[in-house]
Amino acid sequence: MKKELPILMGLIVGILWYSEFFIAGIFYENMKLFFANGFRIAGVVGVMVGIYSVARQNYAKIKYNNERYYSILRVTMILLMIFLGTKRGMSPGTPFSSMFMNVYVPFQATVFSLLSFYIASAAYRSFKAKSVESAVLLIASIFVMLGKIPLGEAMWSKIPVISEWIMDAPSSAGRRAIIFGGYLGTITMMIRIFFGLERSHLSE
Amino acid sequence: MRILEKLKKLDRRIIYLLVFLSILIPFLPGMDFLVFPVSTSKETETIFNYIEGLEKGDAIHVDWAFDPSVKAELMPFFKAFFRHCMKKELRVFIYYATINGINLGKEAVAKITSENEFSHLKEGVDYIHMEWVPLQPGIMIFNMMTDYKNTFKKEGVIFEGIETLNDIKYVLGLSGSGWHITWIDMQIRFGYKMGLAVTAVMGPDFIPYTQTGQLYGLSYGLRGAAEYELMVSEKYDRDYYDTATRGMSSLTLSHLVIFGFVIIGNIVYFIEQKNRRI
Repeated sequence: MKKELPILMGLIVGILWYSEFFIAGIFYENMKLFFANGFRIAGVVGVMVGIYSVARQNYAKIKYNNERYYSILRVTMILLMIFLGTKRGMSPGTPFSSMFMNVYVPFQATVFSLLSFYIASAAYRSFKAKSVESAVLLIASIFVMLGKIPLGEAMWSKIPVISEWIMDAPSSAGRRAIIFGGYLGTITMMIRIFFGLERSHLSE
Repeated sequence: MRILEKLKKLDRRIIYLLVFLSILIPFLPGMDFLVFPVSTSKETETIFNYIEGLEKGDAIHVDWAFDPSVKAELMPFFKAFFRHCMKKELRVFIYYATINGINLGKEAVAKITSENEFSHLKEGVDYIHMEWVPLQPGIMIFNMMTDYKNTFKKEGVIFEGIETLNDIKYVLGLSGSGWHITWIDMQIRFGYKMGLAVTAVMGPDFIPYTQTGQLYGLSYGLRGAAEYELMVSEKYDRDYYDTATRGMSSLTLSHLVIFGFVIIGNIVYFIEQKNRRI
């Protein structure tokens, strides 16, 4: 029963959601609202699970691990943000917002910006015309990059045209093939879940 | 040969330093000669022209799905877009799809409304920050279409005449990921008009949807934001140039540094191959 019940639920709910696209009516409207509410509750429970997980992990690290100072800092910051948010609110100009904009935002933006340095280093070491295919890729990428900077247009007026063609035709065609493949895979997976053939989501 | 060996084993810190300088130098005073004029693309023009064609009081829905990691690319677009909407006296509903975006959005709007020109704008009348709900986009769209849980049916001047997503004239998605794929999938069913502003790396993923008409306008990367700043500035004959336009020269120089490294890398590779054959 532990296995059969989730599979049966998957089948019924899956067919209901799928048929909703083709059949209108008050039953389906109510069903959507029921599930919308359910998803919302599941989302809130998910947040609670996340809070519990963070608290448990950090508690274990503080108690047993050598890297306890990072965990102490993390938990302190979480508690500080909760305190600031509940004490003075989160609107612009409050201590919470100042902390967010002046600490969290620069940190996260910096981590993402580091990518540009890695890309430059990786491009230097591995972006080489070792074969015909890689040479085509190299030339295409140079045209696309030049097309995206104003200097490219200043160098030769046709560069943005070539860049746009590469993006609109070959690149877009490849992307479409990937999209079609992805959706066919999704439909296959959907059918497999409907009929209980796919059970990985049930931890099997 | 020694130079070849040195280039082959070039310390990555030299690459990092040159990339850093190429990003920094254009922002220094007196570096205006590095600024080149930007031309506009048809995808960004589509968004601008559609907004330009709307009537006073029409509603725009902004689906804010980005966090600080991609702020540098997407924030300039939002600012230019928001200024444009306010110039057109449109009503803007900003819904936050990610919790980390809420303060970013509120601070950005607060900064714009602190400017003299936009100081008359009021939250709840000209624009509104919608709540964040832990929901997947598909379910959120169903919510907005049926107005379950009163997404739009709230008290306030801004909600007058707006009951569901059907009453929104244009949906603009801002994200650095594939978040809006669901919005595009649902667009076929519900028929809302939508455009996207995404990071440069995500742009190619969405181009096929502009060709099928599912996306009505697409702006990607800092370039798209610079184009929008240019169009708004030219249309209203005022200086709305912001960080995107300033950043274009930085983008140009850093691209040139990367080109330089790619070219040097290939020259080293070919000389090495030639020597090996000999």
